[in-house]
Amino acid sequence: MIERHIHSAQTDDPGPEEPAATRERLRALFPRGATRRMTQLGLLLGGVLDPVRPAEEDALIYASSYGESRALHEYLASFPTASPTLFQTSIHPSAVQQVLVTRQQPVREFLPFGGRAQIVAHAAQAALLSPAGRSIFCGGEERHVPPGTTTAASPIGFAFALALSPAAVGSLGTLRLTESDDAGGELALPEFFLALRQRRAIDQAAAPGLRLTLAWH
Amino acid sequence: MSAAADSQPVPIEAADCRTPFGDARATSAALRQGRRALTLQPVLGAAGGDSVPLATLPGRSLDETAPPAWLSCLDGLAASIPEAAWGDARHPVFVTSSNFGVGSLYAFARGHGPDHLEFCTPFALVDGLRRRFGWGGNVAVLSHACVSAHVGLLQASRVLAGGRAERALVFSFDFISPFVTGGFHALKILNPEMPAPYAVRPTGSIGLGDGAGFAVLGRSGAGFSLSAQSLYNEMNHFTANRADGAGFAACLAPVAAAAQGRRLWLKGHGTGTLEAGRLEAEGFGRLFPASPLVSWKGGLGHTLGSCGLVELAVAIAAVRGGEAAGTVGTTAPCFVDAVATEPFPTSAYDGVVLASNAFGGAHAACLLTHD
Amino acid sequence: MSEPLESRLKQLIVSTLKLEDVDPASIADDAPLIGSGLSLDSIDALELVVTVEKEFGVKIASSEESRAALASVGHLAAYIRTHAPPDRPPG
Repeated sequence: MIERHIHSAQTDDPGPEEPAATRERLRALFPRGATRRMTQLGLLLGGVLDPVRPAEEDALIYASSYGESRALHEYLASFPTASPTLFQTSIHPSAVQQVLVTRQQPVREFLPFGGRAQIVAHAAQAALLSPAGRSIFCGGEERHVPPGTTTAASPIGFAFALALSPAAVGSLGTLRLTESDDAGGELALPEFFLALRQRRAIDQAAAPGLRLTLAWH
Repeated sequence: MSAAADSQPVPIEAADCRTPFGDARATSAALRQGRRALTLQPVLGAAGGDSVPLATLPGRSLDETAPPAWLSCLDGLAASIPEAAWGDARHPVFVTSSNFGVGSLYAFARGHGPDHLEFCTPFALVDGLRRRFGWGGNVAVLSHACVSAHVGLLQASRVLAGGRAERALVFSFDFISPFVTGGFHALKILNPEMPAPYAVRPTGSIGLGDGAGFAVLGRSGAGFSLSAQSLYNEMNHFTANRADGAGFAACLAPVAAAAQGRRLWLKGHGTGTLEAGRLEAEGFGRLFPASPLVSWKGGLGHTLGSCGLVELAVAIAAVRGGEAAGTVGTTAPCFVDAVATEPFPTSAYDGVVLASNAFGGAHAACLLTHD
Repeated sequence: MSEPLESRLKQLIVSTLKLEDVDPASIADDAPLIGSGLSLDSIDALELVVTVEKEFGVKIASSEESRAALASVGHLAAYIRTHAPPDRPPG
């Protein structure tokens, strides 16, 4: 069993908010002019990471199943004169890099995850196994319906950030992974986000052999 | 900035790769002969454009087919992985890539039909591969641009060190497409000149290449171990490193500390860009002054997210064969005198430091040791 | 007062790079574009290179060449005038 205690839990549910509105809502959190190149996902991550303040010796674990889907599709549309800015911002894990570059904040350990059905379990495992004194487990999606297909982007937008440490005193809750005999198990990011947002508990098989427990004090 | 590397030795049971030259042994042999897999090809494939150095698998074009032509390459690679119940609770799989099926997404966006769709998202592609190879559901997906493979190796090592697995498989691939070549060309670093890593020249250029590799960690027997691993992320700028080289030092210093007393050669990232190449070479020179430095991207091209694992497999093949390839495509003068432009025997060394770097000032390094 | 090409370049800089709070007329012809008061960086420079190619048919081949061409609006205008294809005079 591995566990860490939650000392900060930040969430943002932008609903149907368009990127321009997200930029207007969150621009005060960034240096002047910095948001002009940021994606909606980057802005949302910046909002939830701001109270957490990642530091150089933290471990930063990031999870997103779809990443920068708008930048990806806008980049594709820019061909044959491909846009270097959109190429850059479309590459996972751009959202977190956008935030930390604007803040000039190095971080020693940065572990970005993709995937979907077991993404929470695998990213949580990385956060709980890291030797860093503090792990920051963050993630999210930007809401986007790309032209021609509904399969390559998330229908909902959200972002979260958890600050985790071994210290139980003063914590809000606990995130735990227990080895189990479960041959299956799934927990995708939207469900995990809702549990954080609503301060609901989770206790389920989240990947083969991994049972995830989220408990609040 | 000081920190300790992850320094619990992790045995490497097996490792191999696929490049346009073939498996790790064939790739190492080709590089020792000074051969390039790179040829000048139109940057946008069938859509034309400037000629730039690219290396695709034999018979594979830059433009993606449906199903992708690289699937058969991965079939062959997967068939060579030692058997285990991969993907069950005690045999996790870590799939790493920078691009996954983005070539298929490009093809779909260009109107080449819905058959590309099933390969377009990373999770759908990996799930398809999982089923194709008969793996269970314990498959993690990591993606961190050109340090993806290193990140996968580190996470697999920690899962093993935590007693949470018996063996772990890290599986990495990147196959180039106009999506990727167009982007690097727009960044003005994929130019119509062959790459010459670490060479002093007026203009830099990279090459891009197809690559895939795997490593099975956890059981000894092959005589190789990952004895230290380190990461660092500058977050200074997306495409530029700190001008003082501090990012390179921050990643390499813990590995240097773990490697004290060893006789080392160095496999650097060395894509052929000028500023990053100079900073990297000088950083290596300060921490490992007696060690020869090579990069193989002048021969293979930059295999993007898979480069860490492709080049690890080639390094292992080099040690097994007793000779490491020099920096293909490079002639003096170089940024530092330690750049080896010719093959050299590996018998005098008992370890290799391997490094990769990525956008965002991401750095990764590991220490490969052998009996 | 700027020449028409210089004025057009300033408008393109503001629109391409989404500099919402910048009046194009406030950009001096000889002010450094990169690392200056506009806070533009190398990615912005490359984005401008793409815009120059689309708008004027002028290709800038390498990152080293782009650094010189984008030293200022004046430098960029001179580069375009020198390298523009005959059938696309920049004005």
